[in-house]
Amino acid sequence: MKLYEWEAKHLLASLGVRVPKGQLVKDKFEGKGRYVVKAQVLEGGRGKRGLVRATDDPQSAIDEMRKSGVDLFLVEEYVPHDREAYISALLDRETGEPMIAVSPVGGVDVESMAQVRTFVIPMERGVRGYDLIKIERHIGIKGVGDVVNALYKLVTEYDAELAEINPLAVTPEGPIALDAKVIIDDNALFRHQDLLSKFNRAYKPESYVDLGGDIGIISNGAGLTMATMDMVKLMGGEPADFFDVGGGADRARVKEALLRVASNPRVKRIVINIFGGITRCDEVARGIVEAIDVIKKPVFVRLSGVNEEEGRKILAEKGIEAYSRAIDAIGDALRS
Amino acid sequence: MNRNTRVIVQGITGREGSFHTKLMLDYGTRIVAGVTPGKGGTYVHGVPVYDTVEDALREHEAEASIVFVPAQRAPDAVYEAVDAGIKLVVVVTEHIPIVDSARMIKYAKARGVRIVGPNSPGIIVPEETLIGIMPVRSFRKGRVGIASRSGTLTYEVAEAVKELGHSTVIGVGGDPIVGTPLDEAALMFENDPETEAIVIIGEIGGTSEERIAEYVLSGKIKKPVVAYIAGRTAPKERRMGHAGAVVYMGQGTFESKMNSFRRANVPVAETPYQVAELLRQLL
Repeated sequence: MKLYEWEAKHLLASLGVRVPKGQLVKDKFEGKGRYVVKAQVLEGGRGKRGLVRATDDPQSAIDEMRKSGVDLFLVEEYVPHDREAYISALLDRETGEPMIAVSPVGGVDVESMAQVRTFVIPMERGVRGYDLIKIERHIGIKGVGDVVNALYKLVTEYDAELAEINPLAVTPEGPIALDAKVIIDDNALFRHQDLLSKFNRAYKPESYVDLGGDIGIISNGAGLTMATMDMVKLMGGEPADFFDVGGGADRARVKEALLRVASNPRVKRIVINIFGGITRCDEVARGIVEAIDVIKKPVFVRLSGVNEEEGRKILAEKGIEAYSRAIDAIGDALRS
Repeated sequence: MNRNTRVIVQGITGREGSFHTKLMLDYGTRIVAGVTPGKGGTYVHGVPVYDTVEDALREHEAEASIVFVPAQRAPDAVYEAVDAGIKLVVVVTEHIPIVDSARMIKYAKARGVRIVGPNSPGIIVPEETLIGIMPVRSFRKGRVGIASRSGTLTYEVAEAVKELGHSTVIGVGGDPIVGTPLDEAALMFENDPETEAIVIIGEIGGTSEERIAEYVLSGKIKKPVVAYIAGRTAPKERRMGHAGAVVYMGQGTFESKMNSFRRANVPVAETPYQVAELLRQLL
């Protein structure tokens, strides 16, 4: 679960990191002077979309952003600073240990940063003084102990799979987090109910990812769903979504998936790619049949595996002919 | 791993555990005991159930265990198996918090125990044994070893190369941190006399695929390798179903994996079906 910027900063501040003085605003802001107005949305790239603005007229900035549908803003004091750096913590997949990543140049997309260095700090010992010396040397900033300790704690105690401060600004009073991104491991949310209630977030992990195109995609298993999406793209189509119904999906789950994918107004045709292992093709077929009259969009179904024959028969009675190969189903979906 | 490998099933009385115990028994897997706390003394498909792994091992000998225990208690099951002296633990359970996985895998490694998973469909050695949940009709004894981060996609590719047959097929698990990463599985196939060619089914996220390419370049892997990578069109920082299929800090992108394999002259299939074609050209 990705936290909103204000939530991430609240958490960081509670762990001893300096953040700009700020205020959550829905529509009206009284203050005068130089401020930074930041739309509280979860999508990245806010700067490029004009959703972060340093301004002497915060109310106008708010009014303008409200027009694009934003309804919550973090209005912060403007912090003059000399320089911006990058720092984050995440679990290193190779060693299974927390890792601090830093760059002396922040404020830009981390992928385009040249001087990123990583420091693996094993859980067994935690952050030590010599780690800080090495980190401070690389980014050329003194006094990052609180920041490093807070980020480290977010990974080991708050189950953050990514805790990032970008940029970390250098001021005479020490480093300060101008922007923050924290993503909590969905699987660990059960032990962070206090956070959920503090931020008033009800979170349900979803197997649906919006991809922006017009070909709806439903498949079973993450790998197969990805492969389906890749094949659609490779054959010249634009995937509308990624929807993995998971292992052992029954008719209700399939019906629900189909209704969800079809409810996207951009979706024109839907590819369903099922390889029955734990999932039974007849259950899938029943789910499709139950949804098809409601959605009124053409579906291209590939069925293979357990109870395939029965599944095909159920679909055939509804006038849907199942394919044996995903490629053929996708090909016809793109041609029709 | 072969037909003589003795297996205990942890979480045997649950819906998944009991269902797959039956399928494994039907395939010929030597399941000697099951474990579910509080259910000791009962039987599941004729398999005796014990309260603890230690109880089970007092009555039976076993080398391997498969874990179907729900996520919040799965780490308990893994620690218990390790402490009781099991040498191979296959963790089918999905949704274990990543920090918990990291800790339990480290604990097992330090004690010389191999973990496969979490979030793994298991391992199959066709005509010998199945420690997992793979649909057996997709597999046939043969020459190709498959190492995969996926489930259904593995079965798809396995069927596509069925005429060549499979030596061993291992699903390493879809989590970001797993006990036996894809690159370790690939090395095991290099050293396995039954395997003539290796199929790698990778996906975005992590750097295991890149490491395999390095092994091929350095000659550490000499057998023919064919790869498929899922997620070419995935947006960054979005999780594609698997907890492990996510790109943070630009690490493990499709392009990075593609370029690594290209440098190592490892053919990468554009579709799962093309794996079979590429294999035939190499063999």
